[in-house]
Amino acid sequence: MANRAGAQRPNGATQGKICQFKLVLLGESAVGKSSLVLRFVKGQFHEYQESTIGAAFLTQTVCLDDTTVKFEIWDTAGQERYHSLAPMYYRGAQAAIVVYDITNQDTFGRAKTWVKELQRQASPNIVIALAGNKSDLSNKRMVEYEEAQAYAEENSLLFMETSAKTAMNVNDIFLAIAKKLPKNEGGGAAQPRQQGMKINNSETSQASEGGCCK
Amino acid sequence: MTMLGKAEYGVTTFFTRSHPNDKCGANGLPLTPNSVKVLGRFQGLKHLKHPQICKYLDIVKDKHERMVIVCEHYRNCLSSKSSTFSSREKLTEIAYGVLKGLAYLNSIGITHRNLSKDNILFDAEGQVKLAEYGLYYMTGYGAEVAFPIGMPQYLAPEVLAEAPITVDEHSDVEPEVLNPSGPKVDVWSLGMILLEMMCAQDLWTGLTMPQIFHKIFAFLKTDQSPLQSIAKDNSLTETLKTLTPDVVEFLNKCLTVSVKHRPSPSELLKDDIFTELRLKEVPYRNGFQLFSTESRCKDLELPVYGENGTIMQDFDFDHLSLRNMEEVYYLWRLAGGDLEALLRKEGLVITKPPITLLPSFCTNEGDVFGQRRDRAELLDSIVITASQEQLRNRLSEVDEKAYYPLLEDEQSSMTSSLPLSPSSSDLTNTASLPLVIKEKDVEYQFHRIILYERLLKAYPYKRAHIWKEARVDIPPLVRAPVWAALLEVEGDIEGLYNSIDKDTITPTDRQIEVDIPRCHQYHELLSSPTAHVKFKRVLKAWVVSHPEYVYWQGLDSLCAPFLALNFTNEALAYACLTAFIPKYLHKIFLKDNSQVIQEYLAVFSHLIAFHDPELGNHLDGIGFIPDLYAIPWFLTMYAHVFPLHKIVHLWDTLLLGNSSFPLCIGVAILQQFRDRLLSFGFNECILLFSDMPEIDIQRCVQDSIKIFCSTPKSATYRQHARPPKKAQKEESRPNLSYYSRDYNDQPSTDLSMEPIPIEELKREKVPRISAEDLIELGELTGPAHSKSPTKRKQNSKPMLLVVDVRTDSDWLKQHHVTTCKSSYKPEWFAGVQKSW
Repeated sequence: MANRAGAQRPNGATQGKICQFKLVLLGESAVGKSSLVLRFVKGQFHEYQESTIGAAFLTQTVCLDDTTVKFEIWDTAGQERYHSLAPMYYRGAQAAIVVYDITNQDTFGRAKTWVKELQRQASPNIVIALAGNKSDLSNKRMVEYEEAQAYAEENSLLFMETSAKTAMNVNDIFLAIAKKLPKNEGGGAAQPRQQGMKINNSETSQASEGGCCK
Repeated sequence: MTMLGKAEYGVTTFFTRSHPNDKCGANGLPLTPNSVKVLGRFQGLKHLKHPQICKYLDIVKDKHERMVIVCEHYRNCLSSKSSTFSSREKLTEIAYGVLKGLAYLNSIGITHRNLSKDNILFDAEGQVKLAEYGLYYMTGYGAEVAFPIGMPQYLAPEVLAEAPITVDEHSDVEPEVLNPSGPKVDVWSLGMILLEMMCAQDLWTGLTMPQIFHKIFAFLKTDQSPLQSIAKDNSLTETLKTLTPDVVEFLNKCLTVSVKHRPSPSELLKDDIFTELRLKEVPYRNGFQLFSTESRCKDLELPVYGENGTIMQDFDFDHLSLRNMEEVYYLWRLAGGDLEALLRKEGLVITKPPITLLPSFCTNEGDVFGQRRDRAELLDSIVITASQEQLRNRLSEVDEKAYYPLLEDEQSSMTSSLPLSPSSSDLTNTASLPLVIKEKDVEYQFHRIILYERLLKAYPYKRAHIWKEARVDIPPLVRAPVWAALLEVEGDIEGLYNSIDKDTITPTDRQIEVDIPRCHQYHELLSSPTAHVKFKRVLKAWVVSHPEYVYWQGLDSLCAPFLALNFTNEALAYACLTAFIPKYLHKIFLKDNSQVIQEYLAVFSHLIAFHDPELGNHLDGIGFIPDLYAIPWFLTMYAHVFPLHKIVHLWDTLLLGNSSFPLCIGVAILQQFRDRLLSFGFNECILLFSDMPEIDIQRCVQDSIKIFCSTPKSATYRQHARPPKKAQKEESRPNLSYYSRDYNDQPSTDLSMEPIPIEELKREKVPRISAEDLIELGELTGPAHSKSPTKRKQNSKPMLLVVDVRTDSDWLKQHHVTTCKSSYKPEWFAGVQKSW
């Protein structure tokens, strides 16, 4: 089946609770959003990762103690112009990773705007993580770790510096998010299938059978 | 066009310097392999054209950074015929020829830097032909190869005085040649070569390289002229005395130590020694070029007829030799010409067991010692001539007339333009074979290329004919100009492109710069630095000259096929892109394109429902709406989701369709995955398309044509589609107007489609059709003149079942005899859809 994600994960055992979360990646273009997802989901890294147009969708499952957490990941286009599409992806998301490139100060500024927008417009309980990507290029660093950390603390965000290339902190940041997400109220977290519908602006009322544990 | 004539194909090979494996550039990406850089730079060389230079034809990147280069070649060279060339007249002629070639190269910024007696060739008429002139240029002035360029004994003193290229293996800074040699170094080399020819002896033959360098450096230290020093040194003083003063004077000019005082090739051409030759000279004709404003009859030479009507010229019966050199090379490869096999046969590819090349000592830091240098890294100057035998055999059966097909035959239909071939039964059989086979068939390609070449020469007059042929297929060799013709590119494209400011920094630059290095980078040519520069210029040119639009990510992908095809003709790539966008992506690149895209996607989902209601219902039911997956499809006309070799085949057909055709391609793609999609839930569906799965593009093309032909035109009506074009000449594309014309281009009447608000459009599940199409398809006016592509025979079943869903009283009041009355039962529709 198309769920390639599950097959590859050694920790993808299915015991206990299963929770499903919608996660969205936001950030300036070419900071490495798609690369982070690709590293997390397939364990791969493509040097010439193509630009994302509109958005891409992938899933990955991680295990936390007795809970299986399935991420439905929406990887968005970074170009400012695609901004108008973004709400359709972050609407209803329980988690977001805002990515910037540590070698480019402007992308950090853009990340801050995304955080603001999420705080204002996304679900109030959304878990936001800030990822300073390309940490393998620390000799070209333009954004200091301390600066980003202070900002993250101020805004109570999760924060890590990551590298999709070396895989540093990539799984960790997703795991940290998974830990922080509320897993007790089965309904809140498990919002299966409907994701697709939610995006649709028109309030079509198709029944969304299926459920999360298919 | 450079005719093949008596030329042969010379094959040379060398290795580019490879980067250490772990090295990365400043952006964290691996360094561009030197081979790819060379590949990109080489492309510019392919288009150089001058009677005194050999034409570069092809470059192939082989394993382990090996480059294989194919170039026009002649077996006669200066070193092979030393004694016969010693007369003064002959030598001035040679010098003049070499200088003309050099001056041409200099005029486009190329320095030979590698001149030697081995690469001054002579064609069948004894004309000078320079070879190997691109090596210095294409290797980044030698920075990208591990061997030195240039024969030591002919090197000018300033070349030796230059700092050597230092390659620091541990820094990520690319080595750069700060002071590439200028045109005057070639003049020195020419002087040395001429001197050797006049004295009929090679200089410094017994000396080692350091000794030669020492000799050359010695010129810098003495006041004596180099010519005198050499004469004294080699006891040539007596020989020099036999030379006329003007020749000695000329040699002295060439062998001037001071670069400042040494003349350049173009200056030397004006030298008195060449007065006679200058008078005899015939101006060089560059020939007609497609898509330029130059008068195409400018250089036209008509055959001279004798009194009794016979052609006075010597008629060459080797028809192949009158064909374009590149074209013959293309056919040569199709006929089994294999460069690697050729090299191996000649013993140029010697594979050593890798273990013999391992260093003997290696530190933890990665420094290695005792590694023997692989001799293969050095330049092997051997030129292998590739035999044309195989190709000539393949084409020996071809009728003479096939080389000169007639275009003006009124009766000729599409396929009859393919002449009968004596060897295989009929080329029309080949025409119906799958594209991949056709593209490999030498004879078929031969006929198609010749036909297209003739048609293109007559473009735009023959536009309609090109359209017709393009519906059969487009040979890869002529795809670039044919696409331009299909897109109706005309006029002074060069002038227009050059007038656009592509340099001023704009806010869009950063986005373009981050997108280009990720766009179709598996394609060797597009991943070269040369391509990145061109890419940026074309995109900037488009953005700058279309202020009503903005750069959307995806425009880069859209540009890629045009750039890859027209790599050496940026202006044409730009012209094609500029013609393509309004045709298929009208208003899509508006700053606020949401209305346009929403409408496009809504019409798309209507079409899915129309052609495959079951699939449409399923996808709609699981919420797998086009907004989630189809934006990159339509925004880039599939250029973002398919690799280039598939895009070209898709676009070959796309370009023949109207602006709604891309929608049909979308439906065809979904149908190809129909079974899987029907069994999938939302997540699986979206995962399937998040990475475009392997698709049978040929089938997709066929299916989309079928879908297109069975879609009522008004079903694809979009209010944001391109408004009708003004006063288009009908005759330019006869019989094809229906396919290529947009709904909006049809005359609008009271019965035509009316714009529907987007919200309403999105709520609806299936397309509306216009009253015109209803009358037409239902044949409500009787067997009228049908103008729809769904033409049918008189006695076939009606194509439309009209179900009247009005109230009973309305129905009783008035209804058409062919319509059914129903109180709306969905089962009705299942049946209707199947009958399509």
